[in-house]
Amino acid sequence: MIGRYLLRRLGFAVLLVFVVSSASLLLTRLAPGDFTEQASDNPAERERLRRELGLDRPLAFQYFSWLGGIVRFDFGQSWLYSRPVKALIADRALNTAMLATVALLLATAIGVPLGIYSGTARGPGRWLVGAISVLGISVPPLIGSLLLVFIAARTGWFPVGGMTSAGGLDLNWSQWLADLAHHLPVPALALGIPLAASLERLQSQAIAAASREPFVAASRARGLESTQALLRHAWPVSLRPVLGLYGVMIGSLFSGSFVVEVVTSWPGLGRLMFEALRARDLFLVAGCAATGALFLAIGTLIADLLLAWSDPRVRAGDEA
Amino acid sequence: MNRQSRALLSVLLVGGVIAVVSWRSCAPDRNDSAGEIVVSEVATRGGTLTASLRSEPRTFNRLIDANFPTDLFSILTGAKLIRVNRATRAVESGLAERWTTAPDNLTHTLTLREGMTWSDGTPLTSADVLFTFQALYDPKVDSLLAGAMRVNGQPLTVTAPDPRTVVVKFPATYGPGIAILDHVPILPKHTLQRALDTGAFRQALSVTTPPAELVGAGPFLLRSYVPGQRFVFDRNPRYWKKDVTGIQLPYADQVVLEIVPDQNAELVRLQAGQLDMLQQAIRPEDVATLRPLVDQGRVRMIELGVGVDPDLLFFNLNSSHWSKDPRREWILTREFRRAISHAVDREAYANTVYLGAGVPIWGPITPGNKEWFSPNVTRYGYSIDRAKEILAGLGLANRDGDEWLEDKNNAEARFTVLTFRGNSSLERGTAVLRDSLKAVGIAVDVVPLEAGSVVQRMYKSDFESIMFFFAATSLDPAMNPDFWMSAGANHIWNIGQKVPATAWEKEIDDLMRQVTSQVDQAERKRLFDQVQLILAENLPAIHFVAPRLYYAVSNRVGNLEPAINRPQLLWNVEKISVQGQAPR
Repeated sequence: MIGRYLLRRLGFAVLLVFVVSSASLLLTRLAPGDFTEQASDNPAERERLRRELGLDRPLAFQYFSWLGGIVRFDFGQSWLYSRPVKALIADRALNTAMLATVALLLATAIGVPLGIYSGTARGPGRWLVGAISVLGISVPPLIGSLLLVFIAARTGWFPVGGMTSAGGLDLNWSQWLADLAHHLPVPALALGIPLAASLERLQSQAIAAASREPFVAASRARGLESTQALLRHAWPVSLRPVLGLYGVMIGSLFSGSFVVEVVTSWPGLGRLMFEALRARDLFLVAGCAATGALFLAIGTLIADLLLAWSDPRVRAGDEA
Repeated sequence: MNRQSRALLSVLLVGGVIAVVSWRSCAPDRNDSAGEIVVSEVATRGGTLTASLRSEPRTFNRLIDANFPTDLFSILTGAKLIRVNRATRAVESGLAERWTTAPDNLTHTLTLREGMTWSDGTPLTSADVLFTFQALYDPKVDSLLAGAMRVNGQPLTVTAPDPRTVVVKFPATYGPGIAILDHVPILPKHTLQRALDTGAFRQALSVTTPPAELVGAGPFLLRSYVPGQRFVFDRNPRYWKKDVTGIQLPYADQVVLEIVPDQNAELVRLQAGQLDMLQQAIRPEDVATLRPLVDQGRVRMIELGVGVDPDLLFFNLNSSHWSKDPRREWILTREFRRAISHAVDREAYANTVYLGAGVPIWGPITPGNKEWFSPNVTRYGYSIDRAKEILAGLGLANRDGDEWLEDKNNAEARFTVLTFRGNSSLERGTAVLRDSLKAVGIAVDVVPLEAGSVVQRMYKSDFESIMFFFAATSLDPAMNPDFWMSAGANHIWNIGQKVPATAWEKEIDDLMRQVTSQVDQAERKRLFDQVQLILAENLPAIHFVAPRLYYAVSNRVGNLEPAINRPQLLWNVEKISVQGQAPR
């Protein structure tokens, strides 16, 4: 049963990646202008480049050539960076993954406990938490990033941009890790704070609803303490919408946030996609879009599996 | 280029950064910055210089790419036979320690320095020079420099009688003379000959070439390149240049180029002390942001003077574009362009667009180009009445009682201006133009587009008018024939004419041929003054204001000799010194 389910999700992931990457490539190609316009001011040089890159060929030819390459796991060459798309994406995906993991952990560590608190507590504390969360959700990532960059610039506590220091070449492994950790707070907080706020709101509402369920009252009637009843019975049930959000969060985080990555000069997938779009670097755009779609599919799958693990009713539903 | 997202981001970032990062704001005051080009005499060795770079190179091969990152890479790691001093405009020695010019002004004999080697220890000889010119003129290489390295359409003849002597023969007399060699970085024959022989030269020196295989004769060697992050260059221990006290250059041990694509992020990193200098001029609105750092003595604001690439407005003067347009009778006339020039208050333009940091100009050569600027050109002073009078003379009158003029066919006096989206000075400039012309009854429709689209439409002659800036490749007009000559690919108002479309363009063509072939500098200047005069009379392009250029540099950096053309700060990177702790 689980095998068939995984196969179905895998098929969905492949289809999603194919559609998204094809659409990005075709739309980028069809939009006015092309890569050669910013590559050179010289008309003759631009014509030569157009021929060299195959931009003088019909769209269908270009698309099917690219598809042919995909079958062989060849994602083409980035025109902007003169490097294979696969290698570029692998490098940048790793950088984004580091940032996304930290941001996700941060968001979870802050958002979920605060959500449980605000969804079950009484008094002004819950309103205060709720108000801060609404503020966190409302502030766009751009403004959040700028604010954090401002704080970093004023205080000097953290670097305002980049992933490592220029002297990183001479550092040993542990020093490099410390250097990386020093550069992470600004982008990780910029990404993590809005997510923590969203998680807090969702967790708060979900646990408030779950705590009103009869089985929670029954567990308390059996003698369980209020906190235990909440954590052992209400919380797992309340996780269903929260884990649903996780899928989207993983997908969006791991495909990179171009705003945060540009503002903080983090060399990740979001910035790569942004630069690829600016330059009309067709194959790189398609590669980045495919990676983003893949992460979204994986994120949704992880969320579904977590949901099945956390909520017996889901497992029971699947078996039924 | 597709910059919609970037434009949106930039607009938000401009506001955001200014609002958030400014400690306090004040209008730019040129008195504080003017004259701050302090060339420190302190020259200590060591340290790391950290600068920013907006974009990444597509290749390290300067012969096939002219973009700024590739050019900068070439300056850092390469060397030329001679160099034009960007600050003084004098020709100075490079790999060639001396040279002589024959009385016919056609033959130049250069003597290479003794004992020079490439970074891998291989001797650098005249064979490398010959190889470089062989590659440059090879049709298979299709070098971008090949066009610039021709005189009267003919290549230079380069021979090497012995390992230290290079003879360069021009096919005709050439005004800029030996300065033409400033274009060409000399390449190592021993590492690239095979690529040239096998037809793979265009793929050589790619960005994926391992740094250890990049052999150079410049002050620095590439140590590492992490795409999206940075370049790290180490000193070349075999660099041939020494200072007057015998200290081997470069002074700095290391140069780091941090890749920061966004100008606002770049500014913040300078403020935070993570950068020593920005590669681009700072925007007028950022001067106030940096003022506190200047007051604290952390950053120096350097005013380079008046920029040499000002914004300009030009109409499509290709008559075939207007063949079916009823407006052709007046829109193609020089009187119409003169009326526009009269209608714009250049002082107000300078205040609005450059926050006061600009000077009115009347032609493409600005006061920043001291050697070639002519103040004696026709000026069209601000006068709404005069503009209206000229427009009336063209038969434009308000015939329907609305706010716009119409011609005798009732076609509205209206035209479209294309400009670069996301460029704040151009966006403000076109707004000033629109408001100024509204006052005389002319409607202007401003269409901001991606820079690449504007350029594409320009080359396809698919536009009514364009307002943008045009970067000249050299301050010497003889080295920019594509702009001045009617047949030129960058003769922007009517590109690539088979025969000059107008008498005045033919006259400019004739004069420019003389400017190019004449070797007497005073005579060249006199001839070019005439070119500027004719251009101002006919106004194919209308210039309003040239901005003053400000650069921000950390106070750690010494021995700077800023220049007006790029790379403004790093053109003599071997002489730049740094003190104190490097930015983190």
